[in-house]
Amino acid sequence: MTLTRRAFLKRGGLALVSVGTVPLWGPSFLQQLVFAAEPTRAGGKKILVCIFQRGAVDGLSMLVPFGDPNYYQARSEIAIAQPTQKTGPQGVLDLNGFFGLHPNMAALMPIYKSGHLALIHACGSPSSNRSHFDAQDFMECGVADDKSIRTGWLNRALLNCPEDRAKLTPFRAVSMTSILPRTLQGDQEALAIPDLKSFGVGGDGFNPSSATASAASGFEGMYESAVGDLLHGTGKDAFDAIGMLKAADPTKYSPRNGASYPNGAFGRSLMQIAQMIKANIGVEVAFAEIGGWDTHVNQGGAQGQLANRFTEFSGGLAALYQDLGDRMNDVVILTMSEFGRTVRQNGNRGTDHGHATCFMVLGGPVRGGKVYGKWPGLAREQLFEGRDLMLTTDYRDVFAELSQKHLGARDVNKIFPNHKLNARNYPGLLAV
Amino acid sequence: MLNLLAHIAHKRSSPRGCWAVLVLTLGALIGLSGRPARAADDQPQPLTGRQMIIHVLNRCGYGPRPGDVERVEKMGLPAYMRQQLHPETIDDSALRAELARFDILAMGATELSRTFREEQQANKQRQIDRANAEKNGAVAMTGTSSNSASAQNERAAPAKRPGGEGPRRSFLAVAELQDAKIISAVDSPRQLYEVLVDFWSNHFNIDVRKGPCRVLKVVDEREVIRPHVFGKFRDLLGASAKSPAMLHYLDNFQNSAPREMSPNEQRRRQQALQQSPGAPTETVDNKPRQVGGLNENYAREIMELHTLGVDGGYTQKDVQEVARCFTGWGVDPQTGEFVFAPRRHDNGPKTVLGHDIPPNGGIKDGETVLDILASHPSTARFISTELCRRLVADDPPPALVERAAAVFRGTDGDLRAVVQTIIYSPEFFSPQAYRAKIKSPFEFAVSAVRATGRTIVPDDLLPMNARLAMEAGATFGRGMDRIANARRKSLDIAVIEMGQPLFAYQAPTGYTEDSRKWVNAGALIARMNFALALSEHKVVNVSAPSADLMRGVDADKPVLVLDQLNHVLLQGEMAPATRATLEKQISDKQTSDASTVNVPELTALVLGSPEFQRH
Repeated sequence: MTLTRRAFLKRGGLALVSVGTVPLWGPSFLQQLVFAAEPTRAGGKKILVCIFQRGAVDGLSMLVPFGDPNYYQARSEIAIAQPTQKTGPQGVLDLNGFFGLHPNMAALMPIYKSGHLALIHACGSPSSNRSHFDAQDFMECGVADDKSIRTGWLNRALLNCPEDRAKLTPFRAVSMTSILPRTLQGDQEALAIPDLKSFGVGGDGFNPSSATASAASGFEGMYESAVGDLLHGTGKDAFDAIGMLKAADPTKYSPRNGASYPNGAFGRSLMQIAQMIKANIGVEVAFAEIGGWDTHVNQGGAQGQLANRFTEFSGGLAALYQDLGDRMNDVVILTMSEFGRTVRQNGNRGTDHGHATCFMVLGGPVRGGKVYGKWPGLAREQLFEGRDLMLTTDYRDVFAELSQKHLGARDVNKIFPNHKLNARNYPGLLAV
Repeated sequence: MLNLLAHIAHKRSSPRGCWAVLVLTLGALIGLSGRPARAADDQPQPLTGRQMIIHVLNRCGYGPRPGDVERVEKMGLPAYMRQQLHPETIDDSALRAELARFDILAMGATELSRTFREEQQANKQRQIDRANAEKNGAVAMTGTSSNSASAQNERAAPAKRPGGEGPRRSFLAVAELQDAKIISAVDSPRQLYEVLVDFWSNHFNIDVRKGPCRVLKVVDEREVIRPHVFGKFRDLLGASAKSPAMLHYLDNFQNSAPREMSPNEQRRRQQALQQSPGAPTETVDNKPRQVGGLNENYAREIMELHTLGVDGGYTQKDVQEVARCFTGWGVDPQTGEFVFAPRRHDNGPKTVLGHDIPPNGGIKDGETVLDILASHPSTARFISTELCRRLVADDPPPALVERAAAVFRGTDGDLRAVVQTIIYSPEFFSPQAYRAKIKSPFEFAVSAVRATGRTIVPDDLLPMNARLAMEAGATFGRGMDRIANARRKSLDIAVIEMGQPLFAYQAPTGYTEDSRKWVNAGALIARMNFALALSEHKVVNVSAPSADLMRGVDADKPVLVLDQLNHVLLQGEMAPATRATLEKQISDKQTSDASTVNVPELTALVLGSPEFQRH
């Protein structure tokens, strides 16, 4: 039983600080807990933040191949203009004379220029499945077309990483969602927290009453005394976790370095991930998601539906990067989407389900300021199945590189069992 | 206890498959009576007659309501169990009247799939219209903020539909399914039946979030699962194999023999391509195009998850052969019902698990596979194991599994006989099994409602469709930030927040039957919050607790209140340590204010206690 195993390991490490009936949220108790979670390893604990763009983002609008004339031919009404002086704010943000970021992703430009943002074009899954449901499932499981693997790749990655026993906390793997995503399902215990405010007894979710504190101490007492029961350990974990969060005081958080998160669920998810990272409560992997990418109809160009999604998306990423400041030295942010969209616009000025798309990797350890991946071209004969952007980087090579070099996974073949891995195929995203 | 078991064994009414069960039960009894009269110190005491009743109410149902233990005591446990094994003898007209308000659940496959299709099309059209309107509007007022479009999206969200038809019915179907399941678990007098429906619906898991499964699961639950849980396994398996929802969920509707396109098809395809302006133009050549191909998904899952089990002795070759047998099994797009398309079927000879299947069998190939799988000894063992895991213990006692599997084999997969074997067994009534399993979030929520004598009532905040739309949205992960900040929620939302959205488990495994997997820190906090919300009347569609709960108890006497809660919610079996904590809780409170005991808070604490998480 993994749960008990984890509980046991953790108990071993924390036994000294949490023995006895310390009053809940008492200052010394908290100090010790937070102290226990403080990283001691040189360079600090490595953290991976994964962001899923659900609905299949149009990679060709996110990272525009403005140097490829076929792009403008295929998209007479929805293409983003070249980065000329004349087009001004309507034009793409030139990165290297061939590719440019969507104009609404300007927030990421400083990060790109500082060399901490890498983009990987024509990246994704080799599966030709164009169902959101299946393709997301495959990507979260770290497979292509194989339905026999049932656990998530991030979960397997953590199982494959060295455990810092004394520092293991319930926050090792956290998802800012109400239901644990497939990516984090498996034997490694993970928390699904839709909102930190509701992570507590009588939290905002069910509107706190005056009796909350008293009820909380009652619950804690009962689980503390249920010695010998599997639930005893879980109860302790739960109240440890609440205590650790309380110490971080999620209600009084203000972002640093002038970071400003966009309104809405995505911005809040990222802000709360920053809070947890800064609170040193043992986060190693965090997951968030953002929807709205399934732009079949009127997706727009420099402005419009998709452009607005890019504003929120890039604004959130930039805020997280800024807010974390020096902590970004230990953090890598990875963005992914289940597939891309058709190269040609459809009859409704939108795009349909396609193949390869654009992934991003941000962070201090990243060798950024660069677009990775071989560009397959957009001429008809260069397209996948005659319609979609061809794949040149298997997403598992990206995930595997990050798992191995950033998280420290011992055997990446266990994380991506059906993919022939070879470090030489890694894009080389990390400096290490 | 021995008398009771013997009584059960003698009074059994089901004639079929009885002998094996009877002999085995009696054999077990003899084994039991051979045990030393006084258990050694480390041996747990056998269950008392009262505990046996509690155990049956917990495992063959969703926990006792106030007075249930006494009621069963009065009618006799054997009579109660016999009745539960024959649900058709229990009147459930009140429940059916209660469920009549869910009109989508009464719709047929054809109407449901038409609704789904039309709503998908209308939705797309609506997007086009909105986008066009937006474009026209944008010309008039340049320089609008970049957020205006998303703000419009939000405003236009679920409620407003052209023609004033309200939220999409194909979407509401999900919430109707969930609410009906909750109501049935809370209110049905056929408790064992509801437990088994839950088991089989989870065994043949379908995620409503996948395409048309959101409407087709309605048919699956009503016509595949519910009619068959006390029947023959082969019938259940066969119904599932032809279930449009299953055919979609595990992709078999796409499973066909690869073949060349006919010239007609080729022409139609070209025409279709030319009519859609954005589509790539295709060079017209004379090479015939290949269409179709094997999809092994259903073939693999039917063996791994539905019948043989992962170690059941099949090979990858068997998976391919089974997939070939099921080519052409699909869904008629017009009727939404099962159809066998001979043209898509692979008519070559096949070999499945050592059985030769002759060529040109057509639909018979699939039926033969179902026969082979249903009668395979691995299936008998796997199904028995899973049923024992659900009903008896997370680590099922091997001897009981073997006996249940023998009954499965000997009765041609009679599921009533198998369940009977399991719940009449000494292992079922063993002290090791008693209150040993952790409740799933669904079991926890329903048992808390039942234990406090509550029932499901109409929502007192929102109209029914608005509530259902919110629940369906939550199942699809939409609107969760709004829901997280809602002060009061429905029971269905609470179950989602505790981590078990009903009919929405992504992987075909379904939710685990190993109850230990439900234990984790986040889920436990959610359970405590639910206990508080329920006790503070913040679950919008649940009634106040039964007046009987505290009847005749002096609320000024904390100890008496605690005694009563212990009696009603935990049948007097609260652990001493828990009791000590709660007594301290009361005394701490009383020094701070002299008022009467906070009954809702104490109730919440007992519902959130370690003891109440188990059954």
